Amino acid sequence: MINVEERVALMEFKSKYIAPVGADGVYVINTGDWRTVRPVLDQDKCIKCGICFMYCPVNSIVKEDGKFIIKYDYCKGCGICAHECKSDAIIMIQEAEK
Amino acid sequence: MNIIDKLNSKEDMISPGISACIGCNVELTLRTCMKVLGPNTILAIPPGCMGGVGVVGWDMMSGANCPVFFPLLDNPASMLAGIKLYYERIGRKVNVVAFAGDGATVDAGFQCLSGAAERGDKIIYICYDNEGYMNTGYQRSSATSKYSWTSTTPVSTEGRGGKKEHKKDFPMIMAMHDIAYMATCSPAFIQDMVRKIEKAMEKQEKGLAYIHVFNPCLTGWGIKAEESIEVSRLSVETNFFPLYEVIDGQFKINKEYKNPKPVKDYLTKIKKYSHLNEEEIEEIQEIVDEKWDRLKKLASL
Amino acid sequence: MQEFDVINGNKAAAIAAALVNPDVIAAYPITPQTPVVEYLTQFAADGVLKSSMSEVESELSAMSVLTGASLAGARTFTATSSQGLSLMYEPYFRASTLRLPIVMAIVNREMISPQTVWGGPQDSISVRDAGWLQIYVEDNQEILDMIIQAYKIAENKDVLLPINICYDGFYLSHMTEKVFIPEQEKVAKFIGKYNPEHIILDPKRPMAVDPLTNGDLLMEYRYKHLKSQQNALKVIDETDSEFEYLFGRSYGGLIEEYRMEDAEIAILVMGSLTGAAKEAVDIKRKKGVKIGLIKVRALRPFPKERIIKALGKIRAFGVVDRNVSFGWNTGVVYQEVKSALYESGKIVPSVPFVGGLGGEDITVKMMIESIDKINSIEKNHNTVWLTRE
Repeated sequence: MINVEERVALMEFKSKYIAPVGADGVYVINTGDWRTVRPVLDQDKCIKCGICFMYCPVNSIVKEDGKFIIKYDYCKGCGICAHECKSDAIIMIQEAEK
Repeated sequence: MNIIDKLNSKEDMISPGISACIGCNVELTLRTCMKVLGPNTILAIPPGCMGGVGVVGWDMMSGANCPVFFPLLDNPASMLAGIKLYYERIGRKVNVVAFAGDGATVDAGFQCLSGAAERGDKIIYICYDNEGYMNTGYQRSSATSKYSWTSTTPVSTEGRGGKKEHKKDFPMIMAMHDIAYMATCSPAFIQDMVRKIEKAMEKQEKGLAYIHVFNPCLTGWGIKAEESIEVSRLSVETNFFPLYEVIDGQFKINKEYKNPKPVKDYLTKIKKYSHLNEEEIEEIQEIVDEKWDRLKKLASL
Repeated sequence: MQEFDVINGNKAAAIAAALVNPDVIAAYPITPQTPVVEYLTQFAADGVLKSSMSEVESELSAMSVLTGASLAGARTFTATSSQGLSLMYEPYFRASTLRLPIVMAIVNREMISPQTVWGGPQDSISVRDAGWLQIYVEDNQEILDMIIQAYKIAENKDVLLPINICYDGFYLSHMTEKVFIPEQEKVAKFIGKYNPEHIILDPKRPMAVDPLTNGDLLMEYRYKHLKSQQNALKVIDETDSEFEYLFGRSYGGLIEEYRMEDAEIAILVMGSLTGAAKEAVDIKRKKGVKIGLIKVRALRPFPKERIIKALGKIRAFGVVDRNVSFGWNTGVVYQEVKSALYESGKIVPSVPFVGGLGGEDITVKMMIESIDKINSIEKNHNTVWLTRE
């Protein structure tokens, strides 16, 4: 057991704030680690409609130089992009197979 | 600019990694709405899924790139009203926005929202309706639809049960407050959603703008992750959740199908309805048809 | 030259708010506070009051609107009573833990049941541990002066806490007295400007307000909150002195001592019943009883040191509470005073009195009898209920 006053005297305050604020940057969870399957986009089959981009819940698909690119940093592997793709340009593969 | 290039040019205001369920269409809705609303926004995230997954942040870190906060479950509209009142006073234009679940909107927060609507507080209130208290494991709310299984409206071993009552028609309730703008949205219709958020931003100068988004919940309802959008789309194509808007008292239906799909197509995609017999499905079809007829009549006025 | 007017306590509160001219006001009418809302809306209609007003649909929204406004950087004001305070409990607690210097007058009214609308501070006393500062006043002048002082205390950088100015329903709210009304420029100079740096909702300074927080960090915030309550002890006393310097009126800060210099016994009171108690003290003094009085003004923070010092030489004391502490069989202030004295190591006989609940009168005669009782005890006495004959 330790007296609270002593405890506070011993510790440096973790927060420099007096009120509960989040002002030390953006909190990011590495949701890419959750993925068990990954979407792979076949650029030859892609008709550049942007459906995959529009429906990606984690904003992991970007349009660069007229092409759609899947970024994997935060992709959770939901499969919406592959399911919604009208030209079957995206397939889901097991992460173990990569 | 087409919708894709428009969204591609916008900044994602939310932390790139939040712990929403895999395939969550509420996450998609939030990111899309916030892209349109932009950095000049103060965002209220009441207790619920989006608060739980880290949009307000953790310890001393934020979950967004704009000011974001937890209102109480029962006071989002009032807190926003106070914020807006001060910004109006000092002559600064700021989007003051709630992104609230159905618990915080149609149940506990309803009194505050109704008050703000009546006063014409110049706020944008977006409700993500996933038909229950999902963040605590899917308990019934008054937005839960008829015969839905929830953890507090269980199904018996004989396969009977679920919720006895149909959901509150909340978009209609808000429209009848004669607010500046009311619209329903679906994550399956992004272009429609973007246009409606832009309309809400325009209309917020006149009073409260209310957006009701219907978000089928993968985890709570039992839907395959990849079918997140497909089921959302079916809710609209079956008239279970019609897309419409009300501007200055004028109802306008945004998606109308000559031959709407039977509601059965929607219900059978969802595990929470798996105990339903043909009679119960027919009953829901009748409710949907009646509501659609009423909406049609309102739109013809 | 200060103007004066003969006004009731609610008007004094509304005038004080108008003198401060806060950015945002949101209030919902409830007996006996209702006239405060009426005066404020009338002042606004007449252009005397320039605040942005929100005509809210409940007290829950009144406090919620102010919480939002304060987070945006606004100076705010509201007032409520009893059931209204209960309804706003959720945002009430949160206003303090978010460290928002909101000022709220509480027109003290007894809590139901039984159904009642009459006076008694059971409402605000029941939320004494919600982190707000609470000051209880005796008359209408003190209402006006303390609402002005409240802004200076609450917004002090070492405090940054919301504050209640509590006054008895009907006894003060509806009773008229002569009240001096200070000049607005002087008030503005006294309270200065509010510039929040510790917490803000502003796109120019994006931050999250109230992220999910771990227990270790929550304990830090609680520690700092408690510390600010202790800082307020000094600030309340200092503000009283500054106010006296500018406006010529002083209330003693945390406590007011009345004829305590050579007192052998003491009676402690809070709120409007102080008047009757002072009269009783004067009567008993004439008869040679060395009785003094302490008016407890600050309940939060509790003025432990000053109470200990003031009671340093007495041989017995009593506390007249217009409230109860369920589970203790006494009033609340009695328990607080006893706790303070325990720390001093000086234990003297004491007697708790409970009376005046639900707007019942506490007469000078009752106060005299109470003093006689205090004067007679040689050990601790059970609670004495002051009731009608």
